[in-house]
Amino acid sequence: MHINGKEIREGLHDGSPIFLGYFTTALAFGLLTRTSGFTFVEGVLTSMITFAGSGQFLMMNLYNAGSLLLSIIVSVFFINSRYIFMASSLSQRLADPSSIPGRLMCGFGTVDEVFTVASFKGRKLSYSYMAGLIFISYIGWVSGTAIGYLGGTFLPDVVQKAAVITVYAMFASLLGGEARRKLKAILVASLSALLNSLLILVAGLSTGLSFLISMISATIFGALIYTDKEVGIE
Amino acid sequence: MNKLLLIVSCAAVTMLPRIIPFFASSALSRLPKFLRKCMILLPVAALGALIFPLALTDFGPMWYAGLVGVITAFITSLLKGPMILAIIIALVSTTGMLVAFPL
Repeated sequence: MHINGKEIREGLHDGSPIFLGYFTTALAFGLLTRTSGFTFVEGVLTSMITFAGSGQFLMMNLYNAGSLLLSIIVSVFFINSRYIFMASSLSQRLADPSSIPGRLMCGFGTVDEVFTVASFKGRKLSYSYMAGLIFISYIGWVSGTAIGYLGGTFLPDVVQKAAVITVYAMFASLLGGEARRKLKAILVASLSALLNSLLILVAGLSTGLSFLISMISATIFGALIYTDKEVGIE
Repeated sequence: MNKLLLIVSCAAVTMLPRIIPFFASSALSRLPKFLRKCMILLPVAALGALIFPLALTDFGPMWYAGLVGVITAFITSLLKGPMILAIIIALVSTTGMLVAFPL
């Protein structure tokens, strides 16, 4: 695994919006662990070894609701099942798929935001780039949890609320860039957005299952409307 | 409930689905063409469902603040604005909506 400083810096740079979004979200998570009776070490440990937004919030909510351990584990697995597909997709974009520590690191760091930013990089991904991208996201998540535990969400209420938009703005910006290159991207993303909204808001499905169904349906739709050449397959 | 057991097992069921595919990557690259095409298009399909409906529901009754943020960020990037600009504009417009139309 060759280390390239320029690539690491590029990863850090591309990950800075993720840092901002994660830090502010993790403040709320840290506070939640404290009010749920976790010790500081337990709260921070959760973020250090899990590194997953929605999965961790789900875990705490079910814990507070008094759910059984097994049912919490199963629910967390289901909300995380989307990562099987995201990691499979991302693994095909690595410049050097052979390194074992490199693959472990990428697997550990495959969160929604890292996955999307890396996927839209438009070139093969080096481990140095991925290290920078994952590191800055991880630091935002873990430090936010620690500070949120100790100090609560010290940001003014309106700022804390508005900060929620950071991550969604990042997704919207990636989508805007992709739509500029290929208008069909809007069709595919609109289908998954529409399905996910209907399944959650109208059909009342859990977010994990709904996300999975919407993402896979829209992916198949995309594979039908894009030509092989457009996605770069010979 | 043993909290340490809870934390470690939730971490395990998060990490396994993320890490295992990276060790199956050569098998994945030999899949039929249609499935490889699906893997390339997955990020685009994920984006729509990552944004909606959570970008709205996260704001509860003030869902319009989230909507305005998403739309301004999207338009900024359509007009070739860099991501950081899209995020700043979204932050400002969402904050503006929260302040101007509170519930």
